Amino acid sequence: MPQPHGKNYDVIIIGAGISGLVCGCYLAKGGMKVLLAEQHFKPGGYCTAFKRGGFTFDAAAHCFGGYRKNGVTKKIFKDLGIERRLKIKKNDPSDTVITPDYRISYWADIDKTIEEFNNFFPQEANNVKKFFSFLLNPDPSSFSRMRHGTFKDLLDQYFANETLKTLLSAPLLGLGGLPPALMSAFIGAKLFSEFLLDGGYHPVGGMQALPNALAERFKELGGELLLSCPIKKIKVEDNEVRGVIFKNGGFASAPFVVSNCDARQTFLKLLGSKMIEKEFYLKLKSMTPSISNFIVYLGLDGYFKSLSKPGTTICSFQHYDLNRAYRSIREANMERYGGYMYYVSQDIPTVLAIIPAPYKNRSYWKNNKRQFLNSFIDRLEQYSIPGLKKHIIYKDAATPQTLHRYTANYRGASFGWAGTPSQLALSDFKKPSFVKGLYLTGHWTTHGLGISGVVYVGHDIAQMILRKRRNVINPD
Amino acid sequence: MTNNVEQEIISIIADVSGFDKDEITPEKNIVQDLEVDSIKAIEITVAIEKKFKVSIRDEDVPKIVSVKQAVELVERLLSKVH
Repeated sequence: MPQPHGKNYDVIIIGAGISGLVCGCYLAKGGMKVLLAEQHFKPGGYCTAFKRGGFTFDAAAHCFGGYRKNGVTKKIFKDLGIERRLKIKKNDPSDTVITPDYRISYWADIDKTIEEFNNFFPQEANNVKKFFSFLLNPDPSSFSRMRHGTFKDLLDQYFANETLKTLLSAPLLGLGGLPPALMSAFIGAKLFSEFLLDGGYHPVGGMQALPNALAERFKELGGELLLSCPIKKIKVEDNEVRGVIFKNGGFASAPFVVSNCDARQTFLKLLGSKMIEKEFYLKLKSMTPSISNFIVYLGLDGYFKSLSKPGTTICSFQHYDLNRAYRSIREANMERYGGYMYYVSQDIPTVLAIIPAPYKNRSYWKNNKRQFLNSFIDRLEQYSIPGLKKHIIYKDAATPQTLHRYTANYRGASFGWAGTPSQLALSDFKKPSFVKGLYLTGHWTTHGLGISGVVYVGHDIAQMILRKRRNVINPD
Repeated sequence: MTNNVEQEIISIIADVSGFDKDEITPEKNIVQDLEVDSIKAIEITVAIEKKFKVSIRDEDVPKIVSVKQAVELVERLLSKVH
């Protein structure tokens, strides 16, 4: 295991996901001595890539949003000087929703998207336009209303046609893991505006380029990055953070520790349940994680005619009952789920296909992975890519177990906590009040969904810590 | 009573904004002085509603500019309940 250079740091960050990296860059830029320790041998968390069978695959995240002018990702990447190190392209269309009767794309030109909806639903023409402009520029009172209620409630305010509402919600089941009746209005609106109205960005060369660029920048700013370096404990004395204990037993001190790991692991393992207030412990135990995914990686012998446009994410559903689809996830019933997301890479002929899946134990996935993979390919060929199988030269899949193994996300959860109204914006998940100096960042803080979400939280946590330090140096 | 409500609200704003409690005085402007953006404003509102078991009207949320206004609003809501 690699050893840290020093023994004393200003801040130690556990986990080099995108949020940990962004947070680290800002802290190092602010002049703090930062150690960033990651258990995996590469940075990125869910935003990594791997090589198999001569192909490079994005492991999970395959694009990001919030990159329009003044978008949160854009502002932060520009600010950190990441933008000029990467060649970032926008897929156009970013997403296409396909059902037996409809095909609707999300274009860079939003009027073009509205027109597609209008062609199918002329009686709701004005409503689509109104809904999109609300999402991109919400009035303060309606914005605050979204703290209550579900995404379904929000859609009901704008639309009458149930099929239209389903088509608008279908991609969010893939992007956020919940049907509209269960998803918080706020989370749904955020996902919609960041991923569908301003989504589909990706760095040329694959998603690994993003964490790599952030890691390089972090090191340039004086930060110390240790890969393959798991942490055993966060050391706390008198309710104050003192540092971290490495898995090999070493210790490094710091008055601030930021955890970019999942919340349960942070509180129950790294901190230990004895350190947690009872009320918070009960809350933590009652929280529901988001769903996990089964991800298929296909290497092809080339691009062929029936493939969808490279770069565009296809959300395919063979029916219109999203509640049924959601309920079927727990049973691992692909047929009842009746849908999936997939995209063809622009850089090399590969396909990434994703379907929500239950966690289940290791032996379940050991026994079922192959069969699950093959029936997923059958469905892709049947509903989306005729002739697919004869072009496959490499195939593999990540199960929820795989996702857990590489990222240590609880039960392989894809989006942190489930984005239900009752789990919205709980501030003690980014700054627990019972341990001074401990912060959390990333998608387990209850507000960071997707790359734009975790980038926002990473920046925010860094600002909080920098402000604390200024107060210590200049108490007045 | 006032003091308690004020202290609780200051504590919530401190948690969300990252400012120290003693920096958060009643006349501070929540957006300008305490750098609370629209997402954090939701976070604060949710936390206040949970803590005091009150429901703030949606149209009143954007009207809260200062810490003092937040305290006064919660006090008004509490006096209606009791």
